[in-house]
Amino acid sequence: MKYALFLGCKIPSRLPAYELSTRAVLLRLGVTLVDLEFNCCGYPARNVSREAFVVAAARNLAIAERAGLDVLTPCTCCFGSLRHAISFLEEDPELRSRVSQALAVEGIAWSGKTEVEHLLPVLARTIGVDALGAAVRAPRAGLRVAAQYGCHALRPSNVARFDNPLAPTTFETLIRLTGATPVDWPRQLDCCGDPLHESNAPLSEHIARAKIADAKASGAEAMCTACPHCHLRFDSAQAGSPKPSIRSLLYTQLLGLAMGLDEKSLGLECPESPIRGR
Amino acid sequence: MALAATSVKKTMPHTLFHTALYASLALCVLGLLWRSSAWFRVRVGPDARAVTLSQRLGALLRGTATALFGARVLHILGACFLDVLLLRRLFAREKPRWLGHLLILAGFTLLLLMHAFEALVTVKLFPGYESTLAPYLFLRNLFGAMVVAGIALLYFERWRRRTGLVSVRRPMAAAFAVLLGFVLATGYLLEAHKIASPQAFYRMAKRYSGTTDPGELMPLRAVWASEFGVAFDDLKEPFASNVMERGRQMHDADCAGCHAKPASAFVSYPVSRLLAPVTALLDKGRADIWLLYLHVFACFLGLATLPFTRFFHAVAVPISLLVNASAPNRAFSAAGRASRRALALDACLRCGICDAHCSVAPLARHLGNPYLLPSHKLVATGALANGRLLRSGRESDGFRVAEGAFLCTDCGRCTNDCPAGLDLEDLWQAGRGDLAAAGLPAPAQWVRALPALAWAEALEAAAGQHTATDPDASCAPLSADRRSFSRCVQCQTCTNVCPVVAQSIAADHRVDLTPQKVMNLLRLGLRDLTLGSRMVWDCATCYQCQENCPEGLRVTDIMCELRALAAHRLGAVRSWKAPS
Ligand code: SF4
Ligand code: SF4
Ligand code: SF4
Ligand code: SF4
Repeated sequence: MKYALFLGCKIPSRLPAYELSTRAVLLRLGVTLVDLEFNCCGYPARNVSREAFVVAAARNLAIAERAGLDVLTPCTCCFGSLRHAISFLEEDPELRSRVSQALAVEGIAWSGKTEVEHLLPVLARTIGVDALGAAVRAPRAGLRVAAQYGCHALRPSNVARFDNPLAPTTFETLIRLTGATPVDWPRQLDCCGDPLHESNAPLSEHIARAKIADAKASGAEAMCTACPHCHLRFDSAQAGSPKPSIRSLLYTQLLGLAMGLDEKSLGLECPESPIRGR
Repeated sequence: MALAATSVKKTMPHTLFHTALYASLALCVLGLLWRSSAWFRVRVGPDARAVTLSQRLGALLRGTATALFGARVLHILGACFLDVLLLRRLFAREKPRWLGHLLILAGFTLLLLMHAFEALVTVKLFPGYESTLAPYLFLRNLFGAMVVAGIALLYFERWRRRTGLVSVRRPMAAAFAVLLGFVLATGYLLEAHKIASPQAFYRMAKRYSGTTDPGELMPLRAVWASEFGVAFDDLKEPFASNVMERGRQMHDADCAGCHAKPASAFVSYPVSRLLAPVTALLDKGRADIWLLYLHVFACFLGLATLPFTRFFHAVAVPISLLVNASAPNRAFSAAGRASRRALALDACLRCGICDAHCSVAPLARHLGNPYLLPSHKLVATGALANGRLLRSGRESDGFRVAEGAFLCTDCGRCTNDCPAGLDLEDLWQAGRGDLAAAGLPAPAQWVRALPALAWAEALEAAAGQHTATDPDASCAPLSADRRSFSRCVQCQTCTNVCPVVAQSIAADHRVDLTPQKVMNLLRLGLRDLTLGSRMVWDCATCYQCQENCPEGLRVTDIMCELRALAAHRLGAVRSWKAPS
């Protein structure tokens, strides 16, 4: 099994632990990850120009296509962005031809051969629960976590094609495999607030806090995340308070621990940003 | 005249040389002081405006003291060697460019030490030193060739790695390369001419053999013609072996102490062969004098202008690298950070490595806005800090700079890649603060400054006045197409599932419209009323509305479109600083 790893912008600069733990877990599971020089997924450009957004996203797809690889991303927002760009390209021939022209400048092309996958379905379906279950050596029994899918994994479901958008189960299944227990929490499918962080910080924080409070009230000891944006938003929404009332745990870290990987290789002691403090 | 090389001593009047030397040295020192004072004057970032000059100087003193006497001294020495001398950061990123830079750095430094400062350095270290002896002939040519090869390699790499992105202006880059080339060319030509010159031969013969009589010097001339490349026009090879024998004896007696065969000067010697036919002419015109003047004065010109050309990076980059090594990033105080940012503006090599790998480079290309690229952004950040951007009065520049600054994803690649080790991440953050303070904040902020109705009125007032191309077709196909919203039954499902509506009621951050009302305004043909609305700009793109709409309308996609459309259309009727 071989994928081009699409990390996006947030993971390398702010959450290197996610990269470390993703690589460690997938290596153990026999997945080969190839590093290509991708660019921004395009998401920030959606507020400026639809076409620029699609060009940026399509460039990534074209680069993976040139290497003959499908894309695997641990970032939910990048996943949504790339999938969206594909659906825009498929529905709009005129856009497709303009984007093709833009890519042709660099001698690359998008033809739709490359699939974009999020980490969670790859673990649950492509690698499969049996293989995962067999890899678990040290189940984290007793740990209660709140599974945070992230909006762009689930919605719009016709674009994401990830899981049932109203009652998803993929993440819960994956959590159970590690021995931990997923809690039911009413606000599970709500937004984490991160996209508003730059434009309306108080609102963003309010949305994040409402989710955290809900998860806690539902008995969770930790948020379990599979997107750097959700993960960092939950952490920073609690920064400043005496101590985080509930911490966020990356799913890859949880799985890695259950597979018996050591804390260091999972980035559990990694500082938040590799750029600062270097 | 301790500084002057022997050949200069013999040719140039003392006072002229000294006056020119000290004048250019003084200019250089004054220039360096002026340029480096900017590191304590220029303020990038709102936090930098809050610290005083004395705080910044204090931070410098404290930083220097801790660096010299603190625990990191070994770290700094390591950086001195690996980062400054061996250009480690560049080696890690682009090996050919690293080689080019290293060739220039090494060649130039060695030329400076061995050749320019020969009286100060080489003579002291190697008592038998003569510039015309082996291996110095060869080494001088080698060091010069290293510089030439380095420059050529850098230009070649620049061409080979051309990205199609607009490259940042490099003021004086070409001028400086030309000056450096001129210094090297005159040096090589001077040496070549002196190799071939009979005049130079006779001058030396007079001094060391006490005669200039061509007949008497015949055997020596034969040797120097055949083995030292002097272009006597009255001699023809081959020479009889007894003449050569005698000539060699004369050579050993008078010349060999100072002269090795010039063939090891692998550039100048072949050039001297080319010059041979015109040597008589050059001798007549005293090329030895004017070439020397050109060579020396070009060096002085380079020295005097150093602080104001690209070569200033030779000062700023090492300082930047050593400052980086002096403390971990987190340890810099606000005053220290302020100075580091100002230093970064000077230390940028304009190498464009950051641009080539920038995460938003494809956006820069597609939007036609180079200010998305880090090297351009760095220049703009400086222009904003020193007031040039605002003084230029060109609104469009300000808007484009702001667009670039706020589209940056803070991915950190530029900071990781920068061979000068600049903390660009910090610079971008500071620059965004400055932009906001100058009335150029992110779109979500400037749109917020007016209510939706006021924006709609501004659009109406401006209708017909500006001829901004209608971007609807490419930028907002859904909101321009009735079919994408006419089916809305106003059921309010979208509003009921919207977390922004729910939380904004709870948190008293009231939105002005709801998703359902936005859709209704579209149905009523009042799209302009939605563009500046809080709901459109506070939408979190969570896709709850779109997922749950019973009519399958793409509510969120429309919200995104409206923002892009608003950035475009409201941007066109917006003036700088108002609203702010
Ligand atoms: S941090 Fe910004 S400027 Fe630097 S590479 Fe990333 S997107 Fe480009
Ligand atoms: S910021 Fe750094 S990488 Fe970018 S052009 Fe300047 S020196 Fe080069
Ligand atoms: S959910 Fe759909 S149909 Fe109902 S009000 Fe919203 S956009 Fe209209
Ligand atoms: S996508 Fe926007 S408008 Fe729709 S529900 Fe989410 S926040 Fe509300």
